[in-house]
Amino acid sequence: MLELRKDIFADERDDNLNEIGKGTQRQDMLGHVTGTSTYFNDHRLQGMLHLRVVRSTQPHARLRRIDTSEAERSEGVRRIIRGSDVPRNLNTLLSLINFGKDDEPTLAIDKVRYKGEPIVAVIADTPRAAAEAAAKVRVDYETLPAVFDVEEALKPGAPVVNETYPKNTFTYHDRYDHQKLRFGDVERGFAGADHVLEQRYQMSPIEHAPVETNGAIAAPDTNGRYVVYTSTQALFFSLDTCAKILDLPSNTFHFIGGTVGGGFGGKVDTLTEPLAILAAMLTGRPVRYVLGREEEMQFGPPRGAERIYIKDGVMRDGRIVARQIRAYFDSGAYTRLSSYAVVKCAAHLPGPYTIPNVHGDIYCVFTNRTPATAMRGFGITGMDFALECQMDKLAHLIGMDPMEFRILNAYRDGDMKAHRREAKNTALIECVQVAAEKAKWPIRDEFRRMSSRKDGGGVRAAVPSTPREPAQPRSAPAQQRTSYDRGLSAPSQPEPPPPPPTSPAPSPAHGATRFSSVFGTRRR
Amino acid sequence: MPVTVKTFQAVSEAASALSSDRAARYLGGGTLVMRDLNEGDVSIATVIRATDRTLQSIDVAGARIRIGAGVTFARVLAERDLAFLHPAARSIGGPAVRNMGTVGGNLFAPAPFGDFTVALLVLDGMVALQGGFGVRDMPIEEFLQSRDRQAGALVVAVSCIRPASADAFRYRKIARIKPKGGSVITLAAHLPQSGGRVTGARIALGSMAPTAVRAKAAERALEGRPLDASAISAAAAAAAEGTAPADNSLASAWYRREVVGVHLRRLLSGQES
Repeated sequence: MLELRKDIFADERDDNLNEIGKGTQRQDMLGHVTGTSTYFNDHRLQGMLHLRVVRSTQPHARLRRIDTSEAERSEGVRRIIRGSDVPRNLNTLLSLINFGKDDEPTLAIDKVRYKGEPIVAVIADTPRAAAEAAAKVRVDYETLPAVFDVEEALKPGAPVVNETYPKNTFTYHDRYDHQKLRFGDVERGFAGADHVLEQRYQMSPIEHAPVETNGAIAAPDTNGRYVVYTSTQALFFSLDTCAKILDLPSNTFHFIGGTVGGGFGGKVDTLTEPLAILAAMLTGRPVRYVLGREEEMQFGPPRGAERIYIKDGVMRDGRIVARQIRAYFDSGAYTRLSSYAVVKCAAHLPGPYTIPNVHGDIYCVFTNRTPATAMRGFGITGMDFALECQMDKLAHLIGMDPMEFRILNAYRDGDMKAHRREAKNTALIECVQVAAEKAKWPIRDEFRRMSSRKDGGGVRAAVPSTPREPAQPRSAPAQQRTSYDRGLSAPSQPEPPPPPPTSPAPSPAHGATRFSSVFGTRRR
Repeated sequence: MPVTVKTFQAVSEAASALSSDRAARYLGGGTLVMRDLNEGDVSIATVIRATDRTLQSIDVAGARIRIGAGVTFARVLAERDLAFLHPAARSIGGPAVRNMGTVGGNLFAPAPFGDFTVALLVLDGMVALQGGFGVRDMPIEEFLQSRDRQAGALVVAVSCIRPASADAFRYRKIARIKPKGGSVITLAAHLPQSGGRVTGARIALGSMAPTAVRAKAAERALEGRPLDASAISAAAAAAAEGTAPADNSLASAWYRREVVGVHLRRLLSGQES
């Protein structure tokens, strides 16, 4: 049962709220328990066709030849879609907010970069006819060396996974191959520490495993519009992504979402809608494209794997004096949302603790694995697991109670965080105290009396002197932009060159240019 | 070509339809065949069903227990006389799979599935096959070895002996996800004792080869010896002999070979997994 400790959080909340803090029936619950909720796949439209994708059997290969002649003659086949049929066959999800370069084709053209990558789409009268025709597509692969390990991918001479990012790392602010966090001097911290502990942590990818797999049904509507029933968990995001890939104004589409049969981040990638709509455009018929369970596992994106190295300097009295973190996020073959996970992770370091010297290097790395995407706290959850394992090991190393060790190092109101923002509304100390109390875990009185509101700030509010590192050679600070325009049909080109910085791109200008710590300079 | 579904009353008719069509698959509970069809397996063009009541029968009157191939695991669990098979039946899938999945279909389930078959393998299991010339019984081991070539034959029933004593039969499924994960290793042992010595030891392993297999080296290590620490150690050391496990997402072949002896030791010495 939810309990708000008014003794701790007296000013945190207005008690006269109508919904928050009160038991409220979920509005979709009645439909779920009575089996009457409607999902996208409950629509059976007259004359509906079925789309099936032929996928790469290779993790990394050049496509020598794609032979669809036998498949085209197969019974019930209406149309076969190739990469060259896709109006803008290169996209990256976060291009909608001007973040990242277009790096992922809807259908592979020259090369496949992970097992399960879409190559051609078959549209047929029945799912069976589509499956039979798909089995007749012959793909001639020239296999290439593949790389599956994030650190292997960064070594000189490693196979280039994605030519958009030839160093196998995402590019931040047009220049940087990783996100850096520097606060104080960790080397000095380690030198003065009583103990130094360095550990390696490895997270596995995690599949969202929704009960309802990703899918969409697209149908021609009146006035040249298309209605799209979809499982997406990000309706307008998917709509805009389709508008870009299909090179049409977004008001061409009427997206109907609704009940999502399990999302958790696995249904933001707009995997099925673009091809379903394109198939409806090319055939003039409603088209259904739903992933099977194996496709969902192989091609549907997981939470990305992370490799994390943590090196901590700790004093005998329990104070952590330095924390150095190096992490490699496995983005798979394309960017999707891992670039953003890295930014979130860097903003989270060094965890909810006040540590005077912090050093972070976080990389978004491309490998020949299924592209990773969002999932519940992505960028944070894995790192927190590693940090909290490390906290237990440190407590053990110096012979201190792990609860008291966390209370001692917890950030407090007024402390300076590693990103040079003052900590406010902190409550880790209180959380640990309550957790200890509920678990009947004994902690000493002095730790029971500590408070997030007391003893913060002061020297803990200072920004320590931080040694500067030799600057990298500067290149022109050109913000990567796409020429995607929602109103006009922009000329179709695979990868628009970034415009020179002097000529502002014709992006929808809502306000002045501002600086975002996440995306750099951008308009809002 | 759309999939054709053919339903027959008599098992013999279903069997001849099955043997005359290479693209035909027999549908018992559908937990394997429907999954393949839903995933777009185009090698199946015909689905054969049989409504024969004998497929649903359970006969516990004779010396050997006979279970119709169409009996579901839920029915096995509801049958008090089959209590010794309940741990094996309960270890398969969740309630939905147990309500549909059949004893006959389990014989065809590829690793990491097919746990019930592991139990039958140590209880002198026999498979009753309907061929063109009537029903014949085949030892389950022989059946599994030639399983891929049995496509034309229809399994109508399985049979097995009762354990010599409640303590003589042991079954354990090692899974990462409980209660309904796929098998890392499935173990079964039947160890009748006479005069304090094991006679007729049978040990079987699931997920240690493409089909369930007997661990014959481990059986030999126990045969004629008291079930003591040294015999158990010898069996555990020989557990991986003759196996050919595969890598899959649940465990690597290396891991399976490394831990099979550990789990066999725990099973034989009555320790928790």
